[in-house]
Amino acid sequence: MDVFIAEQSWLLTAIIFSPLAGVMLLWLPPYGDARGVRRSAMLYSLVTLGLTIYALYAFQQSAPQVSAGSPGFQLEQRASWLSLPGDDFKPAIDISYHVGIDGISIWLLVLTAMLMPLCIWGSFSAIRNREREYYSLLLLLQVGMLGVFCSMDLLLFYVFFEFTLIPLYFLIGIWGGPDRRRAANKFFIFTLSGSVLTLAGILYLAYYAYTDLGYITLNIQKLTELGQTGFISPGVQWWLFLAFAAGFAIKVPLFPVHTWLPLAHTEAPTAGSVILAGVLLKLGTYGFCRLSLPIFPAASRELAPVIATLAIIGIIYAALAAWVQRDVKKLVAYSSVSHLGFCMLGLFSMKVAGVNGAVIYMINHGLSTGALFLVIGFMYERYHTRSIDDIGGLAKKMPWMAFFLVFFTLSSIGLPGLNGFVGEFLVLLGTAISAGTSDMRPAGPLGFGYVIPAALGIILGAVYMLWMCQHVLFGPLKEPPNTPDTSTGLTTDLNKREISILVPLALACVCIGVYPKPLLNSFQVAIEQHILPLGTVYATDIEPSRGRYEIPIHREPARTQHVKHARIINNLPDVDSSAKIVVDTQRPTDAPYSFPMSQDTVITSAFDLVKTPGADHIE
Amino acid sequence: MSIETLKLCGLVILLAPLAGAILAGGLGPRVFRSRSHWPVLLGVGSAFVAAIVLFREVYTAPVGETLAKIPLYEWIAASTNARFNVELLIDPLTAIMLVTVTGISLLVVIYSRDYMRDHGQPERGYERFFAYLGLFVFAMCTLVLGGNFLLLYLGWEAVGLCSYLLIGFYYDKPSAAAAAKKAFLVNRVGDFGFGLGILLIYISFGTLEYAAVFDMVQERLLASGEPLTDGRLSAIALCLLAGACGKSAQLPLHVWLPDAMEGPSPVSALIHAATMVTAGIFMIARCGAIFAASPLAMTVIAVIGATTALFAATIALVQTDMKRVLAYSTISQLGYMFLGIGVYAADSAVFHLFTHAFFKALLFLGAGSVMHAMGGVIDMRQFGGLRKVIPWTFMTFVIGSLALSGVPGFAGFFSKDEIIHHALSAHWLLGGIGLLTALLTAFYTFCMVFMAFSGPERIPEGVHAHESGGWMIFSLLVLSVGAIGAGYLGVGGKVFHHFLEPVFAETFAAHMPTHGAVHAVAHQSFWQAYGLMVISGSLAFIGIIGAYVMYVRQPWIPGLVRASARGTYDTLWNKYFVDEAYQAGIVEPAKKTGELCVGLDNYFIDGLIWTVTAIPRGLGYLARTLQGGAMQGYGLSMVAGVTVIVLLVFWCQ
Repeated sequence: MDVFIAEQSWLLTAIIFSPLAGVMLLWLPPYGDARGVRRSAMLYSLVTLGLTIYALYAFQQSAPQVSAGSPGFQLEQRASWLSLPGDDFKPAIDISYHVGIDGISIWLLVLTAMLMPLCIWGSFSAIRNREREYYSLLLLLQVGMLGVFCSMDLLLFYVFFEFTLIPLYFLIGIWGGPDRRRAANKFFIFTLSGSVLTLAGILYLAYYAYTDLGYITLNIQKLTELGQTGFISPGVQWWLFLAFAAGFAIKVPLFPVHTWLPLAHTEAPTAGSVILAGVLLKLGTYGFCRLSLPIFPAASRELAPVIATLAIIGIIYAALAAWVQRDVKKLVAYSSVSHLGFCMLGLFSMKVAGVNGAVIYMINHGLSTGALFLVIGFMYERYHTRSIDDIGGLAKKMPWMAFFLVFFTLSSIGLPGLNGFVGEFLVLLGTAISAGTSDMRPAGPLGFGYVIPAALGIILGAVYMLWMCQHVLFGPLKEPPNTPDTSTGLTTDLNKREISILVPLALACVCIGVYPKPLLNSFQVAIEQHILPLGTVYATDIEPSRGRYEIPIHREPARTQHVKHARIINNLPDVDSSAKIVVDTQRPTDAPYSFPMSQDTVITSAFDLVKTPGADHIE
Repeated sequence: MSIETLKLCGLVILLAPLAGAILAGGLGPRVFRSRSHWPVLLGVGSAFVAAIVLFREVYTAPVGETLAKIPLYEWIAASTNARFNVELLIDPLTAIMLVTVTGISLLVVIYSRDYMRDHGQPERGYERFFAYLGLFVFAMCTLVLGGNFLLLYLGWEAVGLCSYLLIGFYYDKPSAAAAAKKAFLVNRVGDFGFGLGILLIYISFGTLEYAAVFDMVQERLLASGEPLTDGRLSAIALCLLAGACGKSAQLPLHVWLPDAMEGPSPVSALIHAATMVTAGIFMIARCGAIFAASPLAMTVIAVIGATTALFAATIALVQTDMKRVLAYSTISQLGYMFLGIGVYAADSAVFHLFTHAFFKALLFLGAGSVMHAMGGVIDMRQFGGLRKVIPWTFMTFVIGSLALSGVPGFAGFFSKDEIIHHALSAHWLLGGIGLLTALLTAFYTFCMVFMAFSGPERIPEGVHAHESGGWMIFSLLVLSVGAIGAGYLGVGGKVFHHFLEPVFAETFAAHMPTHGAVHAVAHQSFWQAYGLMVISGSLAFIGIIGAYVMYVRQPWIPGLVRASARGTYDTLWNKYFVDEAYQAGIVEPAKKTGELCVGLDNYFIDGLIWTVTAIPRGLGYLARTLQGGAMQGYGLSMVAGVTVIVLLVFWCQ
C-alpha cells in the first residue's frame, strides 16, 4: 500500500476534525458561562475557516502542476483503515481513510467553513437554552459536511454522509419550532431510508469491482476508472445508479421525495435552516456529481431524461407551491426545491458548461438562500411570526433588513451581475447544447426542449420572491401587537452584529456575479478530469460510415496534453483493431485529434488516454 | 478612431454614474444628506461629457471605420467553448444612444434636485432616489455599450431592476409596490422569450458576440457548418422580439407601463419614456442582421407596432390622469418606432427614438412640474387654467405637445412623418393606421393641454400653487430646445441618417423590399415628396382644432359623447379589460395550481409515503403482539414452531 505523502497532507484532516477538537474544548472544564461558550464556538469555527483558506491557498499554489497531468487531487492523505492483505482464501481489502480535494470540493469546503461562523454568530441572540449542546452539535455537523467533501473513499464518504443526520436531527428536534419533533422524525426517516439503499449499492459496487480487480476497494478514483472504461456493464450500472440516486435524490431533494424539506426548514432553528439549505442539500447534488456521473456514465446518460424531467417538474411545482405559502420560511424552503431542480438539470446535461453551472449553482444557492434564511431568522426574532398575513411594510422601520432581503432576493432570482445568474445561465446553456457536439464532446442526453419549461421556472421564481418582498417590506406598516420584541437586547432594525453577518455573504454574491472566473476555472479543470473525463467515448457516438473516429481532446495553450495510448476494446476478434495515434504537441489549432479505425471497431471507452508529458508519438 | 480614447470614454460612461450611485447610496445618509444629488450629478455629467467625446470620435472617423470592439475582461468561462467576455461595441448607433441616454439623464438629475424636495427640504429617501438614478444610467449604458448578447441581457435585466426600484420608490403606497412588482414580472415574461432567443443563438452559432453572430447570419451558416434555415432564424428573431415587446411595452405586454407611473415623475420621464423603454427598439436595431433577414419577424414587428400605436392612442383619449395619458402616448409612440423598424426603416425609427426622447421627457417633466405645483394631484378633473399660475411650465409643455402632435416645424413631425412615409410604401393599411394615430395623438395631447391650462383657474383646495424651482425650469427649457431643434438633424442633408448608414447598410437597408426607396425621395415629384407632409401636418392641426372646439369652445360635447357611447367609453376607460383578462386567465389559474401543488404535497405524496412506511410499521405491530411478555404466548409459539419444523422434516424425507 503506497501511502501518498504530499506536503501539507495533514491539512485536510486538520480541517475536518478541527471542529471536533472545538467540541472537546467546549466540554472541558472550567465551564464558562453561556457567553463564553458562544464566543469559544465562534472562535473554533473561525480556526476551521482559517485552515480552509490556507488550504485554498495551498490548492491554488499547486494548481498549475495539476493541470500538467497529475491525477488532480491535492492535499491527499491516505491511511489504512479496513485493509487486509489477501491470500488464497480471502480477498485483499483496501478501504482506507483517504482524503483529498479537487477544484470542486475545495470551494464547497470554503462555503461550508464560511457559513458556519456566520451561523454561530447569528445564533448568539436566538439560542437561549442548552447552548453548550447546541454549539457542539453545530460543530459536529460541520465535521460531517467537511468530511463528505474531502472523502476519496466511498465508505468514508458514506460514513460522513450519514453522520450529518445525527447532529441535525437533534438541532431540529431540540431547538426547533412548535412542530419540531415531527419535523425531525420526518427528516431523519426520509433521508435515512434513502441512504440505506445507497449503502446496499455501495456494497454491491465493491463486490462488482472485486470481480474485476481481484481485491475489494472503495477508492472513488479507482471506481471511476472502472466506470469510465466500461467494466461495469450497463445493466449493473442502471441498478447501482438507482440505488445511489435513492439516497442522493432525497437529500437534494428531487420531486417527488421533497416533502420532508419544507417541514424541516420551517421547524429548524435559523442556523439549522442555513446549514440545511446552504450545505446539506448540496451533499445530494455533490453525490450525483462526484459518484453517479463518473462511475455510472452509461446509466447516467440513459436515465438523465427521467432525472431531468423530475427536476423540471420540481422546478415548476415547487415554485407554484412557494407562491401560495403564507409562511415566509416555508416559501424560501420551497424555493430551495425549485432551485435545486436547476442544479440537477445542469448536472445531467452531461456537458462541461452545464455541470460547471450546476456546481457554481450549489455555491450560489448556499450563499443566497442561506442569507435569506438568516434575514428571515432575524425578522422572526423580533416579531415571533413569519406569516405574511401578520407583518407588512417593514421597509420603513427596518431599512437595513429591507436592503438585505431585496438584495438576496435579487441574487436568488438570478439578476445578472449577481451570483445567481452565472449558475442559472450556465445550467440552461449546458442543457441547451447538451444534444450537440459543438464543444467537441460526445452528445449529451438533454436538449433545448428541456430549457423551455425550466426557463418558465425563472419567471415563477421572480413571481413568488417579489410577491414575498412586496408583502413583507412594502405597503403600510403592519406588526403584531407588542412587537418588535427588543427584550433580548435587539434593536428595531438589524444591529451591527447582524449586518456584519450579512455583509460577507452579500460581498461574495457580488464578487461571484462580476468575476466568477476563479471558481469556474477551478471547476472546469476538475470536471474535465474527474466528472466527465476527457476522451470518454460512447459506443453510440461512433459513426462507422466515416471510417474514422475523432477523439475530442481539449487543448488550451496553458495545458497542452499528450496522449500516451488509447485502449480500444474490440468485440469482433477477427478485425484488426490496432490504432495509431500521432500527436503533434505543437499543433496550433483546436482541432480534435483523429485516427483511422476499421469500420467494425467499437470503442467502448478511451478513458485511458493518459496525459503524460514528453510522449508525443506513441503507437 | 483611437481605441484608447474610446476605451477610456466607455469606462467613464459606465463607471462614473456607478461610482456616483455608490457614493450617494453609501454615504448619502451620513455624509451628503441634502447634497446627495451631487455625486450622481457629477457622475452622470462626466458620463455625458465622455459620451460627447466618444460621439465626436465616431463622427469624425473615416467611412468604413466606424466600428470598434473593445474587450475588457473575461467574465464567464465555463468550458472550452462557453466563454464570454465583458466587451464593448462602439458604432454610430451606440454613439447616438449614449448621447441621448446620458444627456436626458443629466437633465433629469438636475430636475430632480428640486423635484424631490418639499418646500426646500429633501424628501425621505432623497439619497436613495439619486443612487437608483445613477445605477440606472450605469445599467442603461451597459445595455447600449455591451458587445455581446450576455451583456445586453445584463443591462436589460439591470434597467428592469432600476425600474422596479424606482416605480416602488414610494413603497409604503400599496399601489406603488404592486406596480413595481407588475413591471418586473411582465418584463420577466418577455425576458423568458429573450433568454430563450439568446440560448438559441448560442446553440446555432456557438458564440454570443455580436459581430461573430451577425457575420454568420449574413453567410447563412450555423456553427456546425450546416446552412441556417429560415425557420430557425425566424424562431430566434421572434424569441428576441418577445423581450423587446416586454421592455418597450408593446402588445400584449404593455400592461406594466401605465402602472409604472406610480414612480416619481422624473423617473417616468427618464426610464419610462425617454430611455429604458426604447431598449427594445435599440435591440432590434442592433440585431438588424437577424431581424431584417426574417420577413416573418419583420411583418410581426410592423403589425405589433401599428396595432399598439392605434390601441394605446384610443385609450389615451379618455384617461384623465395626466401621467397616464402620457404613458399611453409613450406606448403609442413606441408603436410607431416598431412600425418603422418593421417596414425596414430602422434609421427612421432610431430618429424617432431620438426626437421622442426630448419631447416626451419634456412632457413628463412638465407633468411633474404641474404635479409639484398641485401638491401631488395629477388628475386633470381636479384642476384647470394653470397657464398663469405656472407660466414656464405651461410654455414648455405646449412646445412638447406641439412636438408630440407632429405639428410641422417641431421635432416629432419630421421623424413621425418619415415612419408614416415608409409604412405607406410598405402597405397602405400600415400607413393608414399611422395617419389615423397621428390624428388621435394631436387630439388627445391637446385635450390634455386645454384641460390643464386653459379656462378659469381651478386649484385643489389647500394647495399653494407655485412655479417650480430654477433647476426644474432649466431642464424644461433645455429639453424644449431639443423638442424644437432635434428634428432638423434629419431633414435636408439628412445628417442623422447619413451618420447611421454604416450600421444599417447591410441589414435593414439591404433587405428592404422597396429597395432604394429612401434614396428615391430626392427624385420624387413635389407632391410625392411633400404631399404626405401636408396631409400629416393638416391632421395634426385638425386634431388640435378638434380638441380646442371640444374642450374650450363647446365644453358640453365631451359629456355628450361619453353618454351616447357608453360601451365604447367604458371599454377605453378600462383599457380594453386587458389587466382583468390576465388576472382571470393566467394569474388566478396559476395560483390555483399552486394550491393544488401544496395539497398534493400534504396529502397525496406524503400519504403515499406514509402508506409505504406503514407496511413495516404494521409488521412491527404484529410482531409486538406476539412478544407481549406473556409466557403462555412464547410457549405456544414455540410449540407451533417445533411442530412446523418436525412436519417439514418429515415432509422432506
